[in-house]
Amino acid sequence: MSLERFDGMRNNPVSKWIKLIVLGAVIFWWTAAGLLAVETEADPMATIKKPIDKVIEILNDPRYKDPDKREIQRERLWETVRGLFDFNEISRRAVARHWKKFSPEEKKRFADVFADFLGNTYIDKIQSEYNNEQIVYVSQIARGNKALVKTKLLRGESLEIPIAYRMKKIDGKWKIYDILVENGVSLVKNYRIQFSEILKKHPPQYLIKRLETKLAEQKKKRAEKNK
Amino acid sequence: MPSKKRNAPKKTNRLTIAALLAVMVLAGAGGCSSVPATAKADPHSPPDLSWLETGEIYPGYEDDRRYIRRASETEATRDELEDELEDELEDELEDELEDEMAGETTIADPLEGFNRVMFQINDKLYTWIMRPLAKGYRAVLPEMVRRGVKNFFVNLTTPIRLVNCLLQGKAGAAEAEFARFLTNTTIGVLGFGNPAKDYPELNPPVEDTGQTLGRWGIGEGFYLVLPVLGPSTLRDTVGLLGDYCLNPLSYVTPSRDELALKGCRSLNRLSFHIGDYEALKEASLDPYLSMRNGYIQLRRSRIKK
Repeated sequence: MSLERFDGMRNNPVSKWIKLIVLGAVIFWWTAAGLLAVETEADPMATIKKPIDKVIEILNDPRYKDPDKREIQRERLWETVRGLFDFNEISRRAVARHWKKFSPEEKKRFADVFADFLGNTYIDKIQSEYNNEQIVYVSQIARGNKALVKTKLLRGESLEIPIAYRMKKIDGKWKIYDILVENGVSLVKNYRIQFSEILKKHPPQYLIKRLETKLAEQKKKRAEKNK
Repeated sequence: MPSKKRNAPKKTNRLTIAALLAVMVLAGAGGCSSVPATAKADPHSPPDLSWLETGEIYPGYEDDRRYIRRASETEATRDELEDELEDELEDELEDELEDEMAGETTIADPLEGFNRVMFQINDKLYTWIMRPLAKGYRAVLPEMVRRGVKNFFVNLTTPIRLVNCLLQGKAGAAEAEFARFLTNTTIGVLGFGNPAKDYPELNPPVEDTGQTLGRWGIGEGFYLVLPVLGPSTLRDTVGLLGDYCLNPLSYVTPSRDELALKGCRSLNRLSFHIGDYEALKEASLDPYLSMRNGYIQLRRSRIKK
């Protein structure tokens, strides 16, 4: 294409229109893509699907088959899912009416130790028992800043465990604040009764200590197992 | 046949499906038993078109049928699903308002002392006897066999669920139970197979007499840990008697055989759940409370459905 011809085209009113159309299309494209990106980001199901898929990938990764690598694998699993949960909200709900007895510092300590305890317990379980389970994403519904995402865990061909996630939008991000097993057994409620029994008789410090002790026991057990 | 299924109205098509499946099997047994068994080939391999020449049924038929069914299901049931989810979310929000910062899911437990002792006994019974047995059983029998046994017992105990659907006025669910029983008994060969598994409309929520009593407005009474059988309530214990009467296995004579069959059923069922109880114990500060609460939550949510 010669320069002359190019110049000529520039002054052509038709080419102006073409440019305008192309520009319009590009702007439209960007906006649409941007909107779509926001849409998928805000989608509660997509929010949990990505890390869960990653978890399964890590569990299947042959690099971690070696018993020496199990600690590294669990670290990676924990990193992957930790951000999915809002442990402050989980703690607040699990402690429920006793929460106001906690000082701000105790609240923070409790949320941290409870997070580690939950992480340990459940990561231990999936790490030691993972056997090609599949996750089926059944449905999601969101209203306002709350959402419910239903999934199913398929264990072989014979067992199906419905698992639902209650989520809340916090700072524009969907975070899990409760897990429902078998269509109605709430994890948070299950801890609530246990914590409540303890907090009826003991100060918050005691509960935090109990969790820390349990955490230490788990760690010891794991160390023995990995030997 | 697939299109028929897709267009069939949701509520009435349970029996239709059972009938269609039965017809398909009879047809299969009658004439088309030589369908080439290449249906489950690698999806990336070139399509096998030999069936065109031989005039056989297209070998991918089964898979496609399933796919079409899934796709249509999504479409047809989307509204229904959304309604259901709406309701559920509504319920949940209500629940939350109620117990956000206040209550616990509680149950009267006047016999806590006795219950805790029984819980410990059951714990030992499980850890020392049932678990090793179930582990051995699982090691000896391949999953396929255990699955067959499980299906067989589930199918055989249809009367418990069916009668309780009827007692709760759940006609649709009762129809589904009946259709599944027909399907699995014929095509599933006496219930060892579970061809109805892939049809959500043939798999209604499990009902039992305890749930029926709850539906009728009879309160739980109080929490009760039964020897061997584990967590229950006064009402659910009465319910177990009802289940006993509705269980065909209860009519096997001599009673030694009845016990053997029921034992086999429990052991087989347990072989799919090894580790679940351990996980609950590991995840809790007070396993007794965790189990009690889990049981009560589960029962209450089942009665609601």
